[in-house]
Amino acid sequence: MSDLAPSARETARVAGRNARVFSKLWKGSLLPQFLDPLFYLVALGFGLGTYIASINGVPYKDFIAPGLIASAAMWSASFECTYNVYLRMNETKLYDAILATPIEVPDLVAGDLAWSSLRATIYGTVFLIVVAAFGLIDSWWALAIPPLVVIGGLAFSTMAYTFTALIPRIDLYSYFFTLGITPMFLFSGIFFPFDRLPAVAEVVAWFTPLYHMVEITRALAAGPPGADVLLNAAVLLAMSAALFAIPVRAVRRRLVA
Amino acid sequence: MVARALRKSYGERVAVDAVDFAVEPGTCFGFLGPNGAGKTTMMKMIYGLATVDGGELQVLGMDVATQRREVKARLGVVPQETNLDGEFSVLENLIVQASYYGVPEREAEPRARELLDFCQLADRAEEKIWSLSGGMKRRLLVARALVNRPEIVVLDEPTTGLDPQARLALWREMESLKDRGVTLLLTTHYMEEAARLCDRLVIIDLGRIVAEGEPRELMREHDAETLEEVFLTLTGRHLREELVEGGARGIS
Repeated sequence: MSDLAPSARETARVAGRNARVFSKLWKGSLLPQFLDPLFYLVALGFGLGTYIASINGVPYKDFIAPGLIASAAMWSASFECTYNVYLRMNETKLYDAILATPIEVPDLVAGDLAWSSLRATIYGTVFLIVVAAFGLIDSWWALAIPPLVVIGGLAFSTMAYTFTALIPRIDLYSYFFTLGITPMFLFSGIFFPFDRLPAVAEVVAWFTPLYHMVEITRALAAGPPGADVLLNAAVLLAMSAALFAIPVRAVRRRLVA
Repeated sequence: MVARALRKSYGERVAVDAVDFAVEPGTCFGFLGPNGAGKTTMMKMIYGLATVDGGELQVLGMDVATQRREVKARLGVVPQETNLDGEFSVLENLIVQASYYGVPEREAEPRARELLDFCQLADRAEEKIWSLSGGMKRRLLVARALVNRPEIVVLDEPTTGLDPQARLALWREMESLKDRGVTLLLTTHYMEEAARLCDRLVIIDLGRIVAEGEPRELMREHDAETLEEVFLTLTGRHLREELVEGGARGIS
């Protein structure tokens, strides 16, 4: 297993490179991504929500707001670990340059994932602040959301990275986004609850990371959470841990043959 | 650096076939061969981007199969393909590269500026990569290969595709590195380059070493005026076959 274990020092160096790029770009090309969840909140929460009195006693905009924090993190991680990683690995050949330094494949993958989780947390936290400014957060427990978004961000990142490491062509991302991310966004409990749907809907959703992230953000935004939140976090960690070896092996096969 | 019975194959294709060589510290060692001879594969085995299938490869007294990270820490690499970091300026490319070796920024920046002076890119420090010419990119790759103060620098066809001025500038840099006691490993298919820079060289064809020696020694042995003749005698098989075939069909 030692050929899969990243070194903390080298991992931090890779993450540092990515953070440095972000620090240059966030004010420019990455700014629109901050606005994305806001449009959903306004259109659905304040628009559609005017016609929907409440869901289980919660006003509709209050219902969807915490879920959109979770999806903000998901979209961030999904962009970072798809196109960005693909280009560095296959087009600009930057990974060949990095792997010729003391950085090894597990460090490279872990460093990208660590940064992507952090970036997801930045997007999630920015949107948490926006939502709080709209008065849609009821509890100080919401302060626990950012550290837990790190865990969710890791799961989203690992999922996207796994796909990236396995695909031979960049156009295959249409499968990832159209058949993976978009349905997950719509059917993981952000926009409607599961309690009046057939039980199978929630069972299917349970296997997606977004379901668990939404459970966490919604519970913390509303007040003292139940112990379930810990289970949700554990599932997210387990998903990341279960997948990690796949991109490490695939990247190694691709770059260090 | 010592290689013994070094082997590498990709599926059925043998890229490196039982190769032995030894490089003395502080010298320039050349790998000459036609395209596809296995030069790049050999370089990649040295700097950790290709695994060793058989035999042994020792760099700075360490086995690359088991101590890859330690070996890479003391190597500099100028790859065949330009893979600079397009997100950063010229100067930042060096600073970020240094960070991969654990050199903190306050130390990396003066070192990077020094290297830009050395590679005559000081006036381009703040520019983006895409604004550099091909020759400048190559020189920046050389500067990048030096940020960790390596004992060995691997240069994989560093002058391919460059104009004569850019080539000369790179040769001067390589000579100056040699003067400082850095060991150079150079692959090339330019005979003039090999004759000028290399203390010793091997000629490779189809993954095997077909000749080894000092440039002058090789010319004498093969009774040739230039290294190019030696090279063509030893690796020009395809060319000769084509000529013979053409002749047989009455084409000249």
